[in-house]
Amino acid sequence: MTRRLVHVGIAFLVIYGLLFFRLEMVQIIGAGNLREHPQNTREITLDFDAPRGVITTADGKTIAQTVAVSGARNRLRQYPYGSLYSHVVGFISAEHGGAGVERSHNNFLAGNELSVRIQDNRDLFVDQARTGQLKLSIRHDVQLVTRAAMAGHLGAAVVLEPTTGSVWGMWSTPNFDPNHLSSHDLQAATTDFKALDSDAVRPLTNRVEYHSSEIGSLFTIVTAAAAIESNLHDLSVSSTTSFPASQRSPAITNQDGSACGGTIKSLMVDACVTGWATIGQEIGREPMQDISNRFGLVGGDPVRTDNALRRDLKPTKLSPSAAHAAVGTAMELTPLQVAHLFATIANNGSRIQPRLVEQVRAHDGSVIHNFEPNVLNQSISKETAAKLLGLLSENVKTGTAQGLALSDVQVAGMSASRFSGSNHLWMVALAPVTRPEVVVAVLLEGDGSDDQETGEANIAAITRRITEAVLRLPNSNLRGS
Amino acid sequence: MNNQRIVELTLLLLAAFITLATVAVAAVAEGTSIEWAVIPYLALLLLLWGISHLSLRKWAPTANGLLFPIAALLQGLGVAFVLRINPDLLLRHLVWSLLATVGFIAVLAGLRDLNQLRKIQTPLGLIGVVCISIPVILKITSGEVNSSPSVQFGSVAIEPSHIGTICLVIFFGAWLASYRSRNTAEYLGEVERFDGDPSRFIPLIGAWLITSVVVIFQNNLSSAFVLVAIFLSMWWVAVGRPIDLVFFLAAVGGSILLTVGSVAEFQDRFDAWADPWSNSQFGEAITRSSFALAGGGLTGSGPGEGAAGWVAGATDQFAFVPIAEELGFMGGAAVLSSYLLLVGVGLRIATAARKEFESLLAIGIAIYFGSQAWAAIAVPLRFLPPGDLSLPFVASNGSALFACTIALALLLRISETVPVIPDRTQILSRISFKSQDTA
Repeated sequence: MTRRLVHVGIAFLVIYGLLFFRLEMVQIIGAGNLREHPQNTREITLDFDAPRGVITTADGKTIAQTVAVSGARNRLRQYPYGSLYSHVVGFISAEHGGAGVERSHNNFLAGNELSVRIQDNRDLFVDQARTGQLKLSIRHDVQLVTRAAMAGHLGAAVVLEPTTGSVWGMWSTPNFDPNHLSSHDLQAATTDFKALDSDAVRPLTNRVEYHSSEIGSLFTIVTAAAAIESNLHDLSVSSTTSFPASQRSPAITNQDGSACGGTIKSLMVDACVTGWATIGQEIGREPMQDISNRFGLVGGDPVRTDNALRRDLKPTKLSPSAAHAAVGTAMELTPLQVAHLFATIANNGSRIQPRLVEQVRAHDGSVIHNFEPNVLNQSISKETAAKLLGLLSENVKTGTAQGLALSDVQVAGMSASRFSGSNHLWMVALAPVTRPEVVVAVLLEGDGSDDQETGEANIAAITRRITEAVLRLPNSNLRGS
Repeated sequence: MNNQRIVELTLLLLAAFITLATVAVAAVAEGTSIEWAVIPYLALLLLLWGISHLSLRKWAPTANGLLFPIAALLQGLGVAFVLRINPDLLLRHLVWSLLATVGFIAVLAGLRDLNQLRKIQTPLGLIGVVCISIPVILKITSGEVNSSPSVQFGSVAIEPSHIGTICLVIFFGAWLASYRSRNTAEYLGEVERFDGDPSRFIPLIGAWLITSVVVIFQNNLSSAFVLVAIFLSMWWVAVGRPIDLVFFLAAVGGSILLTVGSVAEFQDRFDAWADPWSNSQFGEAITRSSFALAGGGLTGSGPGEGAAGWVAGATDQFAFVPIAEELGFMGGAAVLSSYLLLVGVGLRIATAARKEFESLLAIGIAIYFGSQAWAAIAVPLRFLPPGDLSLPFVASNGSALFACTIALALLLRISETVPVIPDRTQILSRISFKSQDTA
């Protein structure tokens, strides 16, 4: 009996050993991953009642601040512009975590970061709120323009400065008022959060960063880049109405069933899908994969702003057939990725990480942390970039993006629409062509009531309005702070 | 006064110190507010420990001195967290502690000879079966979809299954002891041999039925794990036929597989275990537990610096999480070690017990503590699907505390019957001392 009792003892030692091992895995070895997990709201929940720095735009408008109130909790987080910045600053709530910059830069705002906490040697002994103040790259004027242009439409728009990667405007509809979620009335906040969270149109999702849609013919700009690099830009494709099917992939036909062909310039202005498929076949899959890699479209995590959280966006893959890859079949990107792609072309092929946060400042205004523009790589040569810009400019003059043309500035741009199975639309504008200062990418999620032509007219009007307005804004606004 | 009680008193003082220190450190932490009103509660808790210690001195002076301080430390840690997470539970917890102490003293004072329990083994077994199946009966009669195994009496919820498990352990121990004595009698030729008697398997079949009821109607794999662990350990030690274990495990496995396919809630719990990230009903507590544990790290966030009430059920089935979060891996490992020590001491008592019934009872109780703690800690660590099992002694669940304290008293009573045999070295020193004296 004693011997068998020892068996029982050993069995318990073993299963408790498993617990020790697993506890170590969770608390020590796997702890780093868990702490950065997108669903992890522990840290921000802990910081809800703590002092918190303000968030300002590049032109000095305060868009999030903590004010003193009376009551059980004596600090309230306020968002003076409400839903205007809902997808930029996000929110912080007592029970539902947070989102946006509030969440991703929580350590700076709440002063958990050592560089923020110890701002000055003397501060160690002074009981003073040590918080970091964030200055974003978002411009209040651009954001207002974007919101006005997007009024009444479901979708997203993003405005990038190509030379620095700064996000000037970031707008996604539908959205929400973060003031409701940061409320001290926890019951009301919970009701609001649940309603927003279960809403089918997903108002809590920042579509600019987290909503991928098929980009279709927008991808042909990458195919054009590959063609130029492979010295195929003078190749003239014979005119056809369809690209033949192979045993593994279906045939590719032009949208209106017409025949088209020619050099890449005429393919671009005619949005000639069959022609691009032929070019893709000619280039081959390897170079297509290679250039997509250099543009950061495939392989690794999708491009986000420096502050975005790790989230399970599935990595984009190139279609296995070169012809289908060339016309962007199954290529799904977020508006930010699209803007980033065209900003790379606008910036002479130099790819810069999009950034939303420019500076972290101490309570006395001194700069603690500067997020400089971060050059990722030289995706394509300057010459190739210039040729692509020429193509895009031609596309606005005589091609499919004529709705973007402005009277006094030359604009380059591109559009994509008429997807099978989805009625969303894309439009990108770069202006001015000679030295692009702004890239605007717009995604409209068609609501089904509009026909495609109205939709195309709408998106062109929206994109043109944003581009025109941003170009006219005085740059001095930036020095307002 | 004998050594065991002195050891006990010393360790009890240590447990009291750790409890008060945890509360005090949390009280000065930033952002926590601890009411002054908790001081009388803590004082009363320490008073209850003192009374238990004194009653041990009176009625079980030679009982093991480690068991009670370990249980007290775990209970004190539990209280130190409950008073911050949900101070409203404190009063009820204290009333239950009071009841548990009364039960503890009653067992020590009233049950001088454990053989008295063997006389009432059948009623105890019946009580055990009824207590465990009460939730099932209620569920069937009221038709409500509620897997919680509690019975409401006004505002007080009682979970009879905890005390039912203890009754079953006593019954099973008594039955196995008589089974063994009858076997021995057959072997010695004192009674007629009766091979293939089907009644030998009745307890095992009964154990399987009870486990299946828990699985099917309570959808609770943790409770089933505890029952299986107790039955298997006791059966293995007493009977020692591997084939029995195989059959039993296969039968229980069959019940579980059958239930997974047919009961939606059980399926939900399984899904939460397989993928907690996308299951909001049961998964959220598990993912939050992982995040809280990860936030604690090696040394923990410190008492009062964690997000203690963030995990739902942090005072009951997830009571381990805030402890391991704020005291870190080191604190969590210390709690795990305490339970392991409890099991070890229990098994040690079983080997030293003079009667087989007492030995089997000690095994049953030790495994009851060990497996229940294991199952409760295994849920946040994703070893078992979510269940509603309270962490022994730590959880604020009163019924569980009551049952565990009664079981502890039984274990102490068993350890007390072990005669103290002086070490041979002590005899030697006495001899040499004498010889020096005469020289």
